[in-house]
Amino acid sequence: MSPEMESIASAFLGSAALTSLLIILATIGTLNPYHRPAIPIAVTTAVIFASTYLHSIFNGVSFDLVALRTNLIDGALSMFDLIYIAFSVLTVLIIQASLKRRPDDPLIALSDAESGSE
Amino acid sequence: MYVSLAAVQVWGGFCLAAIGFAMHRTGPAFRRHPVGAPVAVLGLALILLHTKQPPEPELLLMETAMDAGPWLASAVLGTTLVLSGAPTYSDRKPLPLFVGWVFVFSAWYLMLAIIPKLTMVEILSWVSSILGVVLAITVFALSVRFTERRTPTEPETEPLSEKERKYIGSVLRRHLEASDES
Repeated sequence: MSPEMESIASAFLGSAALTSLLIILATIGTLNPYHRPAIPIAVTTAVIFASTYLHSIFNGVSFDLVALRTNLIDGALSMFDLIYIAFSVLTVLIIQASLKRRPDDPLIALSDAESGSE
Repeated sequence: MYVSLAAVQVWGGFCLAAIGFAMHRTGPAFRRHPVGAPVAVLGLALILLHTKQPPEPELLLMETAMDAGPWLASAVLGTTLVLSGAPTYSDRKPLPLFVGWVFVFSAWYLMLAIIPKLTMVEILSWVSSILGVVLAITVFALSVRFTERRTPTEPETEPLSEKERKYIGSVLRRHLEASDES
């Protein structure tokens, strides 16, 4: 496989693994009694291992902890490049937020009308 | 299998930062989870502050993050100030809005100085990363749907009583009016 193709494949596999790890961490951070996280966490963990396994095959290295770390770091670096696009989109959104006028609040108007009629 | 302490520290910090951020997003906007922000800050501190240099491959990420640090910090600060000054939840505040935009422009200036050269491989890598993210989210969404379909449905809740309606009305009025005054 050419280095360019390797870089593109690493970006795909790494970002899938890193996103899955972030999903697991977010699930842990927001755990509540209504969550049933067992199956989603098992499935996302499988995505991490499957993508690391494919990553190790493409790069001709053994499937171990170093391969897992390398795959996640490749994902982080490739997703880091997306931050330029994200910041461009964010800039457009904050331009819109800065220029817009605040609309009348229907909730306050409703609550004022209800409290006035009592 | 040997993993250096600095690498463990980077990954421990990453996990804490992600968990702390997720925790901070729980709860209503006016009362966030009290532990979320401190956990996230602790995680960031563990990632950034080291007594020993982290090994490869973590070092590459650390160097990239450090290179992007100035513009990222400027972007975060600027966006926060612009959003706090924008007339979204309260009246327009010109000073935070102006200072925020100064930071946003600085972020753009610093970012354009380090942005990588755009090549076809670079663009394909971006598309590839987006597809990887989409794949992971789709798999997660499908697994959540599968789990929810196996969960027995609960009976429909009763409508709010008059007392509950008054209470919710008072909570809304208190918080909306409080944000108006600030």
